[in-house]
Amino acid sequence: MRVAVVGKGGAGKSVIAGTLARLLARRGRRVLALDSDLMPGLAYSLGADPPAMPPLLDAAEKGEDGRWRLKKGIGPVRAVRRYATPAPDGVLLLQLGKPAADGLPPIMGSLNAFYKVVHRIRGADAFRDWDIVADLPAGPRQTAFDWAPYADVFLVVVEPMWKSALTARRVARIARAQGRAMVLPVANKVTGGADSQRVEEMLGEPLFASLPADEAVAEADRLGVPLIDRAPSSPAARAIEAMLEALGREQTPAR
Amino acid sequence: MKIAVAGKGGSGKTTVSGTLARALARSGHSVLALDADANPMLGISLGVGPEETDRLLAVRQGVDAGETPHEPTTEGMVEAFGTRAPDGIRLVVASRIDSVAPGCQ
Ligand SMILES: Nc1ncnc2c1ncn2[C@@H]1O[C@H](COP(=O)(O)OP(=O)(O)OP(=O)(O)O)[C@@H](O)[C@H]1O
Ligand SMILES: Nc1ncnc2c1ncn2[C@@H]1O[C@H](COP(=O)(O)OP(=O)(O)OP(=O)(O)O)[C@@H](O)[C@H]1O
Ligand SMILES: [Mg+2]
Ligand SMILES: [Mg+2]
Repeated sequence: MRVAVVGKGGAGKSVIAGTLARLLARRGRRVLALDSDLMPGLAYSLGADPPAMPPLLDAAEKGEDGRWRLKKGIGPVRAVRRYATPAPDGVLLLQLGKPAADGLPPIMGSLNAFYKVVHRIRGADAFRDWDIVADLPAGPRQTAFDWAPYADVFLVVVEPMWKSALTARRVARIARAQGRAMVLPVANKVTGGADSQRVEEMLGEPLFASLPADEAVAEADRLGVPLIDRAPSSPAARAIEAMLEALGREQTPAR
Repeated sequence: MKIAVAGKGGSGKTTVSGTLARALARSGHSVLALDADANPMLGISLGVGPEETDRLLAVRQGVDAGETPHEPTTEGMVEAFGTRAPDGIRLVVASRIDSVAPGCQ
């Protein structure tokens, strides 16, 4: 499956994406995890050592026309083989990387290379059997600019509050307008059934899944370790696992 | 004074901005609250209300749609696009991403 996790800042995108990626890998799938956030968080949720420099900087060059392009010989396969970071359970993590104190201009090559690589992954035969789990930055920007063209599912993460619900509505509307993927709203940090119902009212549509507010998630994040290593049988981890089962059923409908 | 609030996703930027603006307004300052997030939610923290915040006209989209003429001065922009928020605050939303867009950024 090819999943892009989107939603408001702090909704729980990285925790959910990291846990899904690890669970898929443990089931024997080849998993590519993608983090296109300029403030990357997925490495911590996966348990990978984040690279010091944006790795794809080395993959990009400027052509005579002044536009960025991938260096000769670097396609999606080589980009992943060369520039992805290994994470536990055999997951590979490709991240855009973050700017240093001198801001965005020095890493524009990495930004452009990442965008080009994900667009070429979409049709690449070599990745046909891979699962992809992407952690997109907060808000609607990257969904609107087509940063997850490979996705067949958008998981829209919503907390039980208005700012989060309005963001989710906006992101879901944009992803549906692209018309390529299933768009599934997922409530996170939910305490009780009334919360889920409130989220459905704010969204105006039913939820695909509800994940509980769980101190184990916050604790794992404070320690900087993956939820799945720290508390694999916590309520939140189990709920993410149940959501993964449901996603599997969604993608292979019973005949 | 002019204050910019920045930080990680979900760290509390909008909550801090909205509360600062209200506190300043209550202590007698004239306050312009500027939402520079393309996913603008400052209206909620200021007390404008969720559905109203979702509908606020953004400068960028307003000018692009030609609904409001481009204003050459800051005061003109605030006049044309500002919304009233509680405690006499003027709220201006810079831009809102609401649909599929071309290009990569
Ligand atoms: N189910 C949950 N119960 C309790 N805390 C949670 C839960 N899910 C996430 N959190 C906490 O919420 C915070 C944000 O989580 P996370 O970093 O995964 O969100 P994000 O959407 O990736 O944020 P950003 O927009 O900054 O990338 C973290 O402190 C995390 O521990
Ligand atoms: N001091 C605090 N104590 C408890 N909760 C807080 C505090 N500050 C902010 N929050 C909560 O954290 C959540 C995120 O806050 P807010 O929307 O202001 O963050 P933000 O940085 O603007 O997020 P985004 O990156 O999505 O724009 C909200 O639910 C808010 O109520
Ligand atoms: Mg994150
Ligand atoms: Mg905000």
